Amino acid sequence: MFRTRKKAVALVSALAAVVLIASGCSSSSDNKSGGSSTTLKVRLFGTFGYKEAGLFDQYQKLHPNIKIDYTTVEQEATYWTALQTSLSSGAGLGDVQGIEVGRIAAVTSQLSDKFVDLNTLGASSLKDNFYAWKWQESMAGSKQLGLGTDIGPLAICYRTDLFKAAGLPTDPTQVSALWANGWDGYVAAGQQYKAHAKAGQYWTDTAGGMFNAVIGQSTNQYYDASGKLIADSNPAVKAAWDESMKVAAGGLSAKLSQFSTAWNVAFTTGTFATLACPSWMVGYIKSEAGAMSGQWNIANIPGGGGDWGGSYLSIPKGSKHQKEAYDLINWLTSAEQQAAVFKAVGNFPSNSKAAADPTVASATDKYFSGGTDPNNPVGAPIGKIFGDSAAKLQPAILGPHDGDVKNAISTAITRVETGRQSPDAAWNQLMTKDIPAAVGS
Amino acid sequence: MATTITPQSTATPTQRRRGIRDRAGDRRSRWDQKFSPYGFVAPFFIVFGAFGLYPLVWTAWVSVHHTELINADQMGGWAGFQNYVNLLHDSFFWNAFRNTVSLAILSAVPQLLMALGLAHLLNYKLRGSTFWRISVLAPFATSVAAATVVFAQLFNRDVGTVNYVLHTVFGISNVDFTNSKWPAQIAISTIVIWRWTGYNALIYLAAMQSIPNELYEAATVDGASQWRQFREVTIPSLRPTIIFTIIISTIGSIQLFGEPLLFSSGGTNAVTGGADRQYQTLAMYFYERGFNNGHLGRAAAVAWLMFLIIVIFVIINTLIARRMRDSE
Amino acid sequence: MTTVAIPAPSRAHKNKLRGAGGQRAAGWLTYSILTLVFLLSVFPFFWTIVAASTSNTEINKVPPNLIPGPNLIKNFHAALTNVNMGTALLNSTIVSGCVALGTVAFGTLAGFAFAKLKFRGRNVLLFITIGTTMVPMQIGIVPLYMLMNKLHLIGRLPAVILPTLVTAFGVFFLRQYLIRAVPDDLVEAARIDGASLLRIFWSVVVPLARPAMAVLGMLTFMATWNDLFWPLIVLNSDNPTVQVAIDNLNAGYVPDMSVILAGTLLGTIPVLAVFILLGRQIVGGIMQGAIKG
Repeated sequence: MFRTRKKAVALVSALAAVVLIASGCSSSSDNKSGGSSTTLKVRLFGTFGYKEAGLFDQYQKLHPNIKIDYTTVEQEATYWTALQTSLSSGAGLGDVQGIEVGRIAAVTSQLSDKFVDLNTLGASSLKDNFYAWKWQESMAGSKQLGLGTDIGPLAICYRTDLFKAAGLPTDPTQVSALWANGWDGYVAAGQQYKAHAKAGQYWTDTAGGMFNAVIGQSTNQYYDASGKLIADSNPAVKAAWDESMKVAAGGLSAKLSQFSTAWNVAFTTGTFATLACPSWMVGYIKSEAGAMSGQWNIANIPGGGGDWGGSYLSIPKGSKHQKEAYDLINWLTSAEQQAAVFKAVGNFPSNSKAAADPTVASATDKYFSGGTDPNNPVGAPIGKIFGDSAAKLQPAILGPHDGDVKNAISTAITRVETGRQSPDAAWNQLMTKDIPAAVGS
Repeated sequence: MATTITPQSTATPTQRRRGIRDRAGDRRSRWDQKFSPYGFVAPFFIVFGAFGLYPLVWTAWVSVHHTELINADQMGGWAGFQNYVNLLHDSFFWNAFRNTVSLAILSAVPQLLMALGLAHLLNYKLRGSTFWRISVLAPFATSVAAATVVFAQLFNRDVGTVNYVLHTVFGISNVDFTNSKWPAQIAISTIVIWRWTGYNALIYLAAMQSIPNELYEAATVDGASQWRQFREVTIPSLRPTIIFTIIISTIGSIQLFGEPLLFSSGGTNAVTGGADRQYQTLAMYFYERGFNNGHLGRAAAVAWLMFLIIVIFVIINTLIARRMRDSE
Repeated sequence: MTTVAIPAPSRAHKNKLRGAGGQRAAGWLTYSILTLVFLLSVFPFFWTIVAASTSNTEINKVPPNLIPGPNLIKNFHAALTNVNMGTALLNSTIVSGCVALGTVAFGTLAGFAFAKLKFRGRNVLLFITIGTTMVPMQIGIVPLYMLMNKLHLIGRLPAVILPTLVTAFGVFFLRQYLIRAVPDDLVEAARIDGASLLRIFWSVVVPLARPAMAVLGMLTFMATWNDLFWPLIVLNSDNPTVQVAIDNLNAGYVPDMSVILAGTLLGTIPVLAVFILLGRQIVGGIMQGAIKG
């Protein structure tokens, strides 16, 4: 009995092992579109706004044979690493992958063979729908590798309740007037805030956000038109750095790392009062600080104009449903849907028809009604604010490691903010070590 | 010092009794005796060979090329020892090395000391001893990811429990754990210590329980206090075990990755261990170079240097242990 | 290499072996310290349960909130839908189960050979086995990744199962146990009777090794369940293990910390349950496996 029981146990274990290993082999979820429905895997980062605007549900209703499997990651850097890994191994790719503008130049210069040329699927007819520069940025030669989702015209989002407590005006026109002459006015307002604010309350989340806004107002950023890295020599970069240092070294920053958990938490705890707001930041604020509706408002960006961010939707060659994926991204980036996204999360359209849509231009957002009568809140005119900003923006010259350089600069700014390095030391390290390491090999 | 006691024989399994043995059986038996052992150890070596040794050699090969993540299926150009030379001149590498060393010391030393003390307490005649042992081991059941996510919240600068306690009990306010250096390293070590102290305590406890009572009785007769008995009987008897745990926990510390990576809870500074690389370990530097920046060749060189460091450490440790053993 | 004896079954024997403290009953100081240790060990669990059952507002309160709230099930559900946690739990079970089975089976085989059999090169091979513990996992990552890529296993479970299918720790653990647990004369007698080594292994060794095999299985299951590094590199969010899912949850776009913590809790509960149910055996196993290097 002893022996047979042992044998039984052994047999069962062996069988179990075989079953487990076999099911392990087959459990990779490669969905088969067996006739009835096709599942499209949509892999994005941050808030593209499709889910929030109900567009996925809408599309699935319009196309009952399509199911959309959507995931998002908050940190774009994490997303980009995973995407590169997937592209090199061919595993884990979505049918639709979002590409941030800081990476699009890397895609067009080094990864063009890994993405579908959308012109072969009919994209060339869409050319006139988009801003010319947006259309051009995602082209590799004659191949179109992505359809533009949004652009990032700039504004400043601020907490009206904190402003009021510190003796600053709350009405958006008056707030915009504080820095109508430029970023120095923004810094001065910050110092005024600091003088009156409580301990642990800062003017802005990180000077890194401000840096991205300032550099976003310049056409020449990290690369020149010939593809050469000019981050170390471009005076615009140094000027943006110097301006940010006034905030970083001036005790005006909450020293947070954007898109981290601590940053998410800080939206609700009043740790910072202003935030450089490209239009897509609006969606972040609303979802991170849903409970603070009516405490925020939006003012103009110092200096007017500028662009930070914006993305594309592309289809990796590894996708098994390229035609269906193309239909989806075509629909998502068309004027009507881009307008819907704008009204839901504030991502400003890259589709020029959508931008010209009167409902877009006149859109308001009740969330950003701070400083107005609580019984009759007036939403901020996001259509006008971001539309005006978009009209003034100068498209930037992109390069393959824009995203990496941007992250290196943010890190350097955090070093200064947290008191670990002086501005000069941080700048030196940035130029001599961080940026070369990020772009070189 | 060798103390072996052979346990009594347990159940005698049924054995087939053979009558007349034939020559073929004899040969088979000898063949079996000679070659079967190799068959028994083969699975381990096959798995290790395919997934351990082969990658190890290949990493060496990758480390002398400029292999990139973006086209990982190709080898890239020949680099010779340039990746290694670059690393030895790379201040980020040495920073990661120093952080790894300091984190190893900060996490191993308090942990093993506390484990010793804990084992001593658990060695008493306790009521509910199983309960105490399980509760001490409970943190071991958590994963690095889970533990670090929770501890990162507890160490939050503005709303964390730790800062609250520090403020109310010691009057220290708002330590910025993720943005500093030594507070961050102490916090990360706390996570490691929390997870592993119980495990090591049990190992020491087992060793303590095999120390013959005569030694303690003799020491009591000599008039030694309890503390002195601990120092002069318990610890020397435990020395081999202590050295073993030191080696194991250090090998683990040199590879420390999950806790410091997840400690800053996202943000661009996660893989650099803080904006100023305050707590970037060698393993994180490996990951940053290889997967964040996509320079696989460089990363492979980091990995080999890590291996070298471990080997050197183990050799030094073994030599010290041997010297201590010889000198007694 | 000296070995530590396991306390033999008889109680008098056991008492004889205990250190000085073993005879003494614990005083109030001991119990207080142990209680403090208990509280410190358990507080993070408690905090997690509280946080997972409330929401961001309560988590961010100062002074910290220690009262559980009503949202536990809701947050579990959110965690499950946000990051494929269901798939992750299934995957982790499969992976941990396979690795535990493999480690126990192959570790016992090799452990027996190293413990009881004489063959040429045994010491060299043993030395190499111990040496493999010094190899940092980072060293194999890049080529292992490239290898898995060539085998088209990226993103699939075998990529996570195969590399750790048998570990040096397992081999060594069983070796130490079998040296003491299997009497030499028993093996000799069976061999004289003409039994093949495989037969001896099956009929003599495995029954004696069962306690250690069980413990090794549990420890390996737990360790594999908790492994983050390699699965993070080779799997993706479509087909994650639990730790990858937790990491995704933490890095993902989830505004509510309580959901993240609920996901973390979900991922920890299975192992914790095993641990509480089988805690005594696990503790015993760790102590029995305590050896001197």
